[in-house]
Amino acid sequence: MAVPVLALRDVSKSFGATQALSGMTLELFPGEVHAVVGENGAGKSTMIKIMTGVHEPTSGTVEVDGQPVTLSGPRGARTRGISAIYQEPMVFPDLDVAENIFISATDLGLVQRKGLLREKASQLIARIGMGLDPDRVASGLTLAEQQAVEIARALSQDVRVLIMDEPTASLSAHEAGELRRIAKGLAAEGVAVVYISHRLEEIFDIAHRVTVIRDGRHISTRPIAEVTPDGMIAEMVGREVGNYFRKDESHATPEVLLSVRGLSQEDVYEGVSFDIHRGEVLCMAGLIGARRTDVALSLFGIHPATGGTIHWKGQEVRIASPREAMALGLAYVSEDRRKLGLAMPLSIRSNVTLATLGKVLTRWGLLREGRERAVTQGYRERLNIRMADADTPVGKLSGGNQQKVMLAKWLETNPALLIFDEPTRGIDVGAKAEVHDLIRQFVRAGGAALVISSDLPEVLALGDRILVMREGRQMGIVPHEDASQEAIMRLATGQERAAA
Amino acid sequence: MTRLSPGALRILALLLVLVLVAAFFATQIDNYLNARLFNRISSSVAIVALIATGQTLVILTRNIDLSLGSVVGFVAYATGAIVSAAPEIHPVLLALAALAIGAGFGLLNGLLVAYAGIPSIITTLAAMAIYRSALVEFSGAQSITTEDLPQWLVDFPNTQLFTLAGVQFRAAFVAAVVIVILVHLALLRLRPARALYAVGSNPEAAEMAGIDARRTVLAAFVAAGALAGLAGLFFLARFGNITVVAGLGFELKSIAAAVLGGVSINGGSGSVIGALIGAVLVDLIENSLVRWELVSEFWREAVLGFLILSAVSADALLMRRLTRLRIRREKAAPAPTPKEATS
Amino acid sequence: MFKTLGLAALLASCATLALAQAKTIEPGQDSGGMVLLPKFLGILVFEQAHEGAQEAHDELQDKGELQFLGPTPENSVAGQIEIMTTAGTQGVGAVMLSNNAGDQIVPAAQAAAQAGTKVVTWDSPIPNGEGESVFVAQVDFEQTGRVMADMAYDIMGGEGQFAILSASPDAANQNAWIASLEKVLGEDEKYANLEMVETVYGNDQSEESYNRALALVDSHPDLKLIMAPTTVGIQAAAKAMQDEGLCEQVKVSGLGLPAEMVSYTLNGCAPQFALWDFRDLGYLTTYVAYGLATGQLTGEVGEQFTAGRMGDYTIEADPGREGARRVLMGPFTVYNKDNVEAAAK
Repeated sequence: MAVPVLALRDVSKSFGATQALSGMTLELFPGEVHAVVGENGAGKSTMIKIMTGVHEPTSGTVEVDGQPVTLSGPRGARTRGISAIYQEPMVFPDLDVAENIFISATDLGLVQRKGLLREKASQLIARIGMGLDPDRVASGLTLAEQQAVEIARALSQDVRVLIMDEPTASLSAHEAGELRRIAKGLAAEGVAVVYISHRLEEIFDIAHRVTVIRDGRHISTRPIAEVTPDGMIAEMVGREVGNYFRKDESHATPEVLLSVRGLSQEDVYEGVSFDIHRGEVLCMAGLIGARRTDVALSLFGIHPATGGTIHWKGQEVRIASPREAMALGLAYVSEDRRKLGLAMPLSIRSNVTLATLGKVLTRWGLLREGRERAVTQGYRERLNIRMADADTPVGKLSGGNQQKVMLAKWLETNPALLIFDEPTRGIDVGAKAEVHDLIRQFVRAGGAALVISSDLPEVLALGDRILVMREGRQMGIVPHEDASQEAIMRLATGQERAAA
Repeated sequence: MTRLSPGALRILALLLVLVLVAAFFATQIDNYLNARLFNRISSSVAIVALIATGQTLVILTRNIDLSLGSVVGFVAYATGAIVSAAPEIHPVLLALAALAIGAGFGLLNGLLVAYAGIPSIITTLAAMAIYRSALVEFSGAQSITTEDLPQWLVDFPNTQLFTLAGVQFRAAFVAAVVIVILVHLALLRLRPARALYAVGSNPEAAEMAGIDARRTVLAAFVAAGALAGLAGLFFLARFGNITVVAGLGFELKSIAAAVLGGVSINGGSGSVIGALIGAVLVDLIENSLVRWELVSEFWREAVLGFLILSAVSADALLMRRLTRLRIRREKAAPAPTPKEATS
Repeated sequence: MFKTLGLAALLASCATLALAQAKTIEPGQDSGGMVLLPKFLGILVFEQAHEGAQEAHDELQDKGELQFLGPTPENSVAGQIEIMTTAGTQGVGAVMLSNNAGDQIVPAAQAAAQAGTKVVTWDSPIPNGEGESVFVAQVDFEQTGRVMADMAYDIMGGEGQFAILSASPDAANQNAWIASLEKVLGEDEKYANLEMVETVYGNDQSEESYNRALALVDSHPDLKLIMAPTTVGIQAAAKAMQDEGLCEQVKVSGLGLPAEMVSYTLNGCAPQFALWDFRDLGYLTTYVAYGLATGQLTGEVGEQFTAGRMGDYTIEADPGREGARRVLMGPFTVYNKDNVEAAAK
């Protein structure tokens, strides 16, 4: 085979006492899509940061075209044709699409020629096959469009290695498919694509070779034809996991916990109606922009609805603030851990008791630290939270563990209805199965769950019934027995509408 | 009808607020709306607008410059000292000196913020005090008076370029507006200037995208210093009498103008034209309050603060309305809505 | 030559009467160090006071050091308190204070006084007099009102509206002058047709004073005069009237420095203004402070002494502040187009 365009040779990286990577070796060849899989905390992020010049290896070498190099910073990596796009796209909201693409181009002169910029941008956008207006201001773009902008930006500089870090985690199935198509196209043009994803079906769709890493070490690199899902998962977690796709029987009882009729919020969504029974998991599916999260935010009192009715245990209620929602017995586990979920610099135990501070305070308002530690320890065991100790800042934990801390915080409020927004986004297969088990346990014990998810296998695995939304409108509710990925997608893309 | 960009909407909302404020005071104060009001406001805006423009550049990068008032004072004094020592100096040379001294202070701020990594609010808070003390030291606590200045300089701010129905367009005001427009065009059209927006809206992403964020921040501070330096020269020309208190408080006034003008304090968003209108608004409110008999001397500052808050809220409200209107229009224009499609 | 007021004659006669008992201040002793503390740095008149203080200090051959220490303008009140506190802690012989901190300075001044430091105020006193040994008054505050009233009467031809542009609402001296002006206007029939319409504050900043002056003109269409008892204010107001071509309509008067006002006086924008000599004020204050610090003066009411070239003075009860004592310098000089050029040099 030819010389690899980019290679890591026996690369190790440590941060203080933590060994993030040890003896990592990876070769990337032009024209291949190379999937890298591993649990959260396996060292994927560190590896990307070394490939993009953000970190320098503690030992070992990075080679470009067979020559050892030092990539001084992201700019150095870019000039060598190495670019990365991330789960959260990095676009500049005040600039238009064309400007975003060429923001760091150095060969376009001092004065910006709008026409030239637009023309060049159009060419790049055409190359990745997206219909995007170069004059649009980036603040109005969808996540998928923002990612397209990032890819175009990478292409504007003769990209040779494109690293895609969980690019589809926030995308709907349709958009993710588009993105994979773009990645395949680039590989066909000779770009080496590194593709990192937790969605196994994606990897089988796109990758030529798969590298599994675990605990900062290289486990295996194989052509995709030699890989099976079970084998890959086993290598990733180093243990057998229960079937991710299993769906146990429904625990739904006849008792209606929450009943919503004609719920709407001006200019956001309208006409949302459903019941949730005790013991039931109701999933909400839809593409990005379906406004599912907005419905959840209304139920939890963050952005109260402007129309429709809500009945809680048979009583009509108005929920005007999260405080009122919590008093009723609702809990909301947010999609955006950083913004709405966790106080990142605070310790794990402070986060766990954040919503229920009253329980760990003495009569005089002083904190009972021992009680707080005991509560945290309980959840650590129950939810299998991997942490050094309860005083570690939450920001230092991996995504899956952060998610569990957030869940612990809400379980501590002893809710009757848990609203989960993308409960397993960006967390690894092992943790995903654990979160699913926790949700099932919760409803089996008499609770109810409303789960918003863009991950169709997850929706099918969890939901007793599946509510599908599209652009702020309820398209239908599908019972689990009738549900399939295709049926849900037809509703979500507006190809048909079920009787409500 | 062409689509209005969010930036243009913002300016429209601001102008509306400006009209509302003027209309309100017109009902409260006799002989209010006349050419004289324009002459008053335009003369003092000439100075504040330059500082607010500089402040905007810095705020766009998600920083702040509290030292601009001190820079104005120092440069006002320094250029006064230069021109009294060498009365024959060419006006352009004097202007260049003002720009250079101001840029020097900006460079110092910028290096500390961008390269030493000290947060701008701390750096420039310290710089504000240090530059002011430097002025006290440099001036030996003496003052510059009009008598020390050449006639052309004293005449400059009030030279009438043209008059329309009693509304005078004076040299300093016109010069300031021209400079603001030039900076506006530069921000819009110069590629390196677009980096200001990128760095301010998402510093991490800018670095990842290969922008030299530090150099961009440095450039913003240098430009702000230079503009404050020029404002210092304008200050000297207008007031003539320069003591060590010159320019005191301009840093806050410039921030108020920028924020009122729709420049996001979180960086990455806003325009210098907005800051100019913001400066006019602040000055209009201040000037009108002095003449509003309902408000006593001692409450004036509080009322000013209250009015600034109200203006910002009114602006935000109008902005939301206008944006919604625009979205509705866009929705209505293309293809039928989903409702029609599915029924 | 300078047009001096009746008050000066009165003072002169007092001084003559007292001549026999006046103490001579002996030079060559150690004051223990003196601090001249202005309201803040960067104002010409305080610099002039410093020159006068230096002159007296040299003449007295004080073995202690004379320091000119002041706060920066934006930090005037806190800075004055801090300098006063430090001076007391270091045990200097005397602090000469032009007070800008109102009664807020009292605790620091009292602490300094208890530590043996003599607190002599000049230009602007401590309003309640506590902590202060004696106040060297530039002019009689009661008389300041009459001087301003007379200038206004002259300039306005005996009738019309005028407004006051002062420094800050906290400045004790300016407030006292304005109060005395109001008193004179109310008591004397001569001024019955002078109407004082408003008082505004420019905080001794050029731009603020300038804008306030213009606002006064806008608010009061019939305004004939702006009276500014502050050197920064009068200059800014005169420049504002000149810049806007309003000098024919609105005149400016008040307390100003000849060097800064000469052109406005000659072109008619500010036909008359008044001031005392700040060099003399610094000189006299230094004599008083040195005398107190070396124990040659006790600061009792009735004590008389000779202050070098300026002649004899008496410590007396301050009529404006109960329980406080003052030395009255005087006299006022009123400047007009006949004498301003000579004084400006």
